[in-house]
Amino acid sequence: MSSVDKKRSNKLVNFITNPKYLMVLATIGIFCAIYLVGAVLYGDKGFTKLRTFAMLFVDNAYIGISAVGMTMVLITGGIDLSVAAVASLTGMFIAYGTTVLHIDPVVCMAFSILVGVLLGLGMGALVTYLKIPPFVATLTGMFFARGVCSLISRDSISIDNELIDAMAGWKVYFMTLKDGEWVKIKPVAYINLNVVLFIVMIIIGTIILQKTRFGRNVYAIGGNEQSARLMGLPVDRTKMMVYGFNGFCSALAGIAYALYVKSGWNLALQGGELDVISAAVIGGVLLSGGVGYMIGTFFGVLLKAVIPSLITFNGTLSSWWGKIITGALVLLFVALQQFVMTGSGRKKKSTKQK
Amino acid sequence: MKSRESIFKNKLTWAVIAELAILIVAGILEPNFFSIEFNAETGMLYGSLIDIVNRSAEITIIAMGMTMVIALGGTDISVGALVAVAGAFALKFLRWDVTQYPTPGDYSVMPFILVIIVPMIICTLMGLFNGVLIGKFKLQPIIATLILMVAGRGIAQIATNGKQFTTGYTPYRFIGQGSFLGLPFPIIITIVVCAAVMIFVRKTAFGTFVESVGINPNASRVTGLKSDRIIMIVYTLTGFLSGIAGLIYSSRISSCDSNNAGVNYEMDAILAVVLGGTSMTGGKFSLTGTIIGSLIIRTITTLVYYFGITSESIMAFKAVIILIVIVIQSEPVGKMLATRQARKREAGELRG
Amino acid sequence: MLDHDVILTMKGIEIQFPGVKALDGVDFELRRGEVHALLGENGAGKSTLIKCLTGVNKMDAGTIMLEGREIRPTNPQNAMDLGISTVFQEINLCENLSVAENIFIGRQPMKRGQIDWKEINRRSAELLERFHVHIDVTRPLSQFSTAIQQMVSIARAVDVDAKVLILDEPTSSLDNDEVQRLFDVMRDLRAQGMGIIFITHFLDQVFEMSDRMTVLRNGHLVGVFNAGEITKLELVSTMIGKDLDEIFDLKRAEQKADAGQMLKADHIGVPGKVEDISFSQKKGELLGFAGLLGSGRTETAEMIFGVTRMQNGTLVIDGREVKINEPMDAINNKIAFCPEDRKRDGIIGDLSIRENIYLALQARRGMLHPMSRKEQDALADKFIKMLAIATPDADKKIRELSGGNQQKVILARWMATEPDLLILDEPTRGIDVGAKAEIQRLMLEMCQNGMSIIFISSELDEIIRCSNRIIVMRDGKKAGELNGEGCTQADIMQMIAGEKAGETA
Repeated sequence: MSSVDKKRSNKLVNFITNPKYLMVLATIGIFCAIYLVGAVLYGDKGFTKLRTFAMLFVDNAYIGISAVGMTMVLITGGIDLSVAAVASLTGMFIAYGTTVLHIDPVVCMAFSILVGVLLGLGMGALVTYLKIPPFVATLTGMFFARGVCSLISRDSISIDNELIDAMAGWKVYFMTLKDGEWVKIKPVAYINLNVVLFIVMIIIGTIILQKTRFGRNVYAIGGNEQSARLMGLPVDRTKMMVYGFNGFCSALAGIAYALYVKSGWNLALQGGELDVISAAVIGGVLLSGGVGYMIGTFFGVLLKAVIPSLITFNGTLSSWWGKIITGALVLLFVALQQFVMTGSGRKKKSTKQK
Repeated sequence: MKSRESIFKNKLTWAVIAELAILIVAGILEPNFFSIEFNAETGMLYGSLIDIVNRSAEITIIAMGMTMVIALGGTDISVGALVAVAGAFALKFLRWDVTQYPTPGDYSVMPFILVIIVPMIICTLMGLFNGVLIGKFKLQPIIATLILMVAGRGIAQIATNGKQFTTGYTPYRFIGQGSFLGLPFPIIITIVVCAAVMIFVRKTAFGTFVESVGINPNASRVTGLKSDRIIMIVYTLTGFLSGIAGLIYSSRISSCDSNNAGVNYEMDAILAVVLGGTSMTGGKFSLTGTIIGSLIIRTITTLVYYFGITSESIMAFKAVIILIVIVIQSEPVGKMLATRQARKREAGELRG
Repeated sequence: MLDHDVILTMKGIEIQFPGVKALDGVDFELRRGEVHALLGENGAGKSTLIKCLTGVNKMDAGTIMLEGREIRPTNPQNAMDLGISTVFQEINLCENLSVAENIFIGRQPMKRGQIDWKEINRRSAELLERFHVHIDVTRPLSQFSTAIQQMVSIARAVDVDAKVLILDEPTSSLDNDEVQRLFDVMRDLRAQGMGIIFITHFLDQVFEMSDRMTVLRNGHLVGVFNAGEITKLELVSTMIGKDLDEIFDLKRAEQKADAGQMLKADHIGVPGKVEDISFSQKKGELLGFAGLLGSGRTETAEMIFGVTRMQNGTLVIDGREVKINEPMDAINNKIAFCPEDRKRDGIIGDLSIRENIYLALQARRGMLHPMSRKEQDALADKFIKMLAIATPDADKKIRELSGGNQQKVILARWMATEPDLLILDEPTRGIDVGAKAEIQRLMLEMCQNGMSIIFISSELDEIIRCSNRIIVMRDGKKAGELNGEGCTQADIMQMIAGEKAGETA
């Protein structure tokens, strides 16, 4: 019996000290800590209410959806700077398509997703077959998407469409049992379609990364592309699929954003790629590739979301502090990554086999 | 044989050819593209060519530093934010507090020297911050500079309390709008800065050291080069240059705009470097190429304006141009061309 | 031997690279259940032949027959599917993945459409047991030593149902024990009927393991020999096609009795790596460092040169106590260092030969005192001539040179700084026998001219042949000191092994 217990506790120690998981645990830990600080400071103002928590999801779901694709790209050791531009282009397609051209919104959405995937595949081809650094290739994609977006319209177009309204308005309220009757909790808390999409994408992403050969190949490529090739893994195909999937995620994020703001604008989401990348980094995804988890990204998005929320509750701080704190958090996590990685590297030299 | 080959292998040649080609197209489309007039009233030369050089000043200056950043195998995406920071602090020193000095006018609250020096010092320090993270703590450049890219604009906003300051102070406006020897003053600044950087890099061994560290940092260290110091110098220099660019930019518009100043400058600067023939993977670099690259970007922008296309849509054209350039520069295409050339040569030898 | 014992035949293989014929009509034959050594200098065509067999390079002519059927592998995966499994010289694994995953990636057992992690971990642990490697296979590979990583890559290669196993320099990062364990596994596999192609620079291992040997030279087949039919010396002379006496006729540099002291190390060390090293060296002396891999030889050298910072002890150079914190300090004290890993720590690949040569001297002069182009050219030309570096001109990229010539350029880089003390860490590893002899001759010449040299090598005969004195290292400590004159390989080995026995007692 005791030996089983010991084995179990050993496993737990192993789990925690394993550098693979350490980053994710750190993210979750810091999120909980910040949330606790908020609860202590602003608990009386309603920071701990379910509504505040649910709004973290509602307000940031589109970033999270895009971060799912970004996480995968980052794990291969790449980067995609085009995500926000592609999302903005998607929003423009939907707004212009439904409101100006009066095309069926389903067609618009399908078209947007097709364009997103094609753009992703195009950039993937530049990276994979022409060996162009991902940074440059996706920068090109970003310029292209923004440019096309401006060619369509320079003005913000608000969306006027029944189906879009219905999708944006769909909400699931949190209920409570009061006097034998289900009533909405107060203050009203809900999740919407975007939140569902976000959570579903995180789950799908996790399954792909952990349970399929394709997902493991993604990690192998990020660890050492040359080796992955010599081990006979389908490197080129995998990279193409990752960029294609990311294009899909960008377009989906664009749809979510369009539902969120119900308009399309060529300058929407300016700098949004950095929000997405920093969410992934805060979630413990290593920019040099090979390390990262969807669940980490999930908490990264929440952690990044909780900061502006705290600043709002504070009321006196300039909202610009949000940017500075995000910058500081990125610094913290990168430093932590550096420490964990070199730490395990140092270990390597001393664990000479006996 | 050998010299001809090396000319065509030289990426600088391609950049020059590209620039000339675009200019010829411009000349055909717009016959008075090359005309330059002297306006006696302002004492300045006017014309599209002058305008191209003038407007490319900020990017050219930043790209000088960016060239070496890329030669080191890195990137600096914080330069745009630093441009905003420099403008914000300069305007802060000119007005100090908009509630106390509500109307913009021809005055400065602080001595003019501080207005110029302090923003540059702040940007230099921010560059040093990047350099320390990358050189000493070995962070990845893109993520290290991401920190200031995100936080920099926040700092700029806080410096000006989120407000947009404007100024009418003549000496300050001279930086971006004045003229000297008939040329717009930004051109003069660009020439001085480029010359200084080139002398520093090529007349000392610094350039070779940068290339060496960019190609193989480990070996460079063992060879006795202080890699971390070289990295820090390059990023600090880039910060300093971004500061200069920021002053020019804010002087041009006589105000500071923390949200929009320098947006996408990092992209344009990197683009200028890549167009100039320096490889994104680091190593050998060419400052002359970068200057031409920056001019190419601006020429395209000017040309596209002639078509009546809006400034935001220019990005699509830029994207197409970059696409062509990077595809030509890419390794597989280069190899393909090389083997075709070799085959041709072999065939020629057989015949001869 | 009967014909059906032949498992693999390669006939008339030709491969054309731009400008050179890498392989010209080479035949190769592998039998079931044999270890077949593939030998030759660097550039002889061994790697090219292997790459052709694994589908990395396309052949221009020739046929490959596997078990009587003609095959044409298109890539490593395709070769693996056909039953040809390869362990490359560099470890080709992903450090971020777990040990188990590295063994199974690309062919993971699946259960209900999902990867069966339990099965992967169980089978990996079992597999590694065969190599007597007992580790937690769920840990990332990066946490283990190079030797274990090498074992893992071999485990990956043998686990697939292979008919032919190619081992390209598998032993270069293993110590003696580990080599023996690998040999045990190889014997097992041989007994099971697998054909093994074995490539190595260590001739002792060739003679210990192989049943037959095929020798290549300059892309041509020179001969196939059965083990026991040929002596080591004959084999070497077949490989290099030169007279042996010319190569091995080297005389140890004469040590002047009145020579002054060059270096005195007093209890120097870096905790956890090397500790408590004391020795002294005279001017013009060639001091050999012997010991197993990881015994602290390289670490000591790196400490003296400031690559790793010395934490304990004192260093006296030329009568002055000095503090060396980084390579620049060492260079200023007229020390030079050719590192072990040429690719990682030596060459600056994209720079020209000229730039590679003048770099260290320029670093010492400082950035603000640049050498003129004329001075650079003169320097480069001088050394290209002096060291007979094979290149059309000094502006060729160093990357494009052969290993031996790269090593000469690195040597030139340091000779240009006119050092008093030159540290050479495995200067002859991975280069062909001809270049090896040249580098040895050069070392002895420099000593004769008064330079002191610290010479680190894994090859004992080389150390004995060149050194005036030999320091033997073991487990990060100095195990003892021997005189070069009259010392035998057995003496050194005893010093390593004897101490070990004493410790366990």
